Amino acid sequence: MNQQTNSEAKEFGSLLLDVGVYLLSSGASCSRIRITMRRLAIAYNYSPHISIAPKSISLALNDEADNALFSGMRTTPAQGVNFKTISGISRLSWNASENDLSVQQVRDELSRLIALPHYPRLVILLFVSVAGSAFCFTFGGTLLEMIITFGATFCGLFMRQEAIKHKFNPYICVYIGALVASLFAGAFVKAGLNINFEHAFATSVLYLIPGVPLINCFTDLIDGNILNGVVRGINALMFALAIALGLLSAMLIYNLK
Amino acid sequence: MDWILILSKAFWCGWGAVGFAILFNVPPRTLFAIWVGGAIGGFLKFTLLQLTAGVVLASFAGALAVGISSIPIAHFRHAPPMIFAIPSVIPLIPGVFAYRTMLGLMKLAGTIGPDFNLVLSETVNNGVKTVFIIMALAMGVAVPMHLMRKESVKHIRLGKKKQANFT
Repeated sequence: MNQQTNSEAKEFGSLLLDVGVYLLSSGASCSRIRITMRRLAIAYNYSPHISIAPKSISLALNDEADNALFSGMRTTPAQGVNFKTISGISRLSWNASENDLSVQQVRDELSRLIALPHYPRLVILLFVSVAGSAFCFTFGGTLLEMIITFGATFCGLFMRQEAIKHKFNPYICVYIGALVASLFAGAFVKAGLNINFEHAFATSVLYLIPGVPLINCFTDLIDGNILNGVVRGINALMFALAIALGLLSAMLIYNLK
Repeated sequence: MDWILILSKAFWCGWGAVGFAILFNVPPRTLFAIWVGGAIGGFLKFTLLQLTAGVVLASFAGALAVGISSIPIAHFRHAPPMIFAIPSVIPLIPGVFAYRTMLGLMKLAGTIGPDFNLVLSETVNNGVKTVFIIMALAMGVAVPMHLMRKESVKHIRLGKKKQANFT
C-alpha cells in the first residue's frame, strides 16, 4: 500500500460520502443509498462497508485484499425532498460504472446535479394548488369547494415557503402552512356560504402530508433497516401532529365545531 | 357503475400526483408517467369502491397497480421506481378519515356526554381505517420493488435486449 493509493482512496471515499449524504437528505430509502454507494465503490475496485444513521453516513473502504484504506463519516446537509438529485445520482452511478469515468469527472457531475434549479416558485404554487383542488374533487367536493381549496393551498404553501426561507423549525413551518390554509378555508365557512366544511377543511391541508417519510418508513422496515424506518415513521407522525394542531388552532379561532 | 364519475376522479387523481411530483422536484421527463400512474391508481380505487369493496382493499389495489407499473416505467424512463410511485399514490391518502379521527380524538378529550360511546366507536373506526390505508399504500408501493428486484431494476429484463458493452 503506497502513498498514492492512500490519497486516491481518500479522494474517492470523500466523494462516495458526498453521494450518500445527498441521497439521504433528498429522501432516498436506505437500500437505495446502500446500492448506489456499493455500485460506485465496486466500479472503482474498492470493497465498501457502509453504515447509515438517520442523519449521517459512515463509510470504510478496503482494497480487494481487505486492507483498510479509508474510513470517514459525514452528516447530512439541510435539504428537502428532491427527486431530481436522486434520479441524477442513480444515472451517474450507472454512467460511472459502465463508462469508466474518472473520480474528478464524477465529482464535477455531482456538483452539477446538486446545483440544478428547482421548478420556479409560481409553478410549484400553482400545480400544488391544482393538486389540492384535485383532492377536494376526489373526496366529493363541488366546484366552489375546489376553488376555495385552491386558494387555501396557494396561501398556505406560500406562507410555508416563507417560513422555510427564515429557517424556522420544520414542524413549525408545517404548522404555519396548516394554520394559514385552514384560516383561509374557514373564512368562507364562517361567512355562511353553503359549503360542506369537512371537504374544504380536510383537503386544504392535504398538501402538507409527509408522503415521502411515510412510504420510506415502510420501505426501510421491510428491508430490515429498522432504526431508520422507526425514525422516519416518528418524523412523519410529528408532521401529522403539526398539521392537526394548525387545523385545530384555526377551528378554535373561528369557533367552529 | 357511474363511469363518468370514476373517470373524472381518475383524471383529477393524476393532477394531484403531478402537483406533488412538482413539489418533490422530479425531473420534467417523468411528469407524464406520474400523471398516468396517479390516474391508474385512482381509476382502480374508485372502480373497486363502486363494486362495494372495502376502502382499504381498494386503496391497496390502486397502490399495487402503481407499484407494479412503476417498474417497467423506471426501466424505460431511466429513473428509480420510487420517483414514479411515491407521487402517484399520494392522491390515495385518506385525508378525510384522518381529519375525522383528529376531530373525534378532540371530542373524546372533552367531557363524557350521552353520545360518548358513539364518538368513541366512530373515532376508533376512522383511525384504524386511516392507519390501515396508509400501511396498504406503503406496502403496495414497496412490495413489487422487492419482489422483482435483482439488486436494481436495471437488471430486470423486460423483453429489451441489453446491449453488450464489450465486443
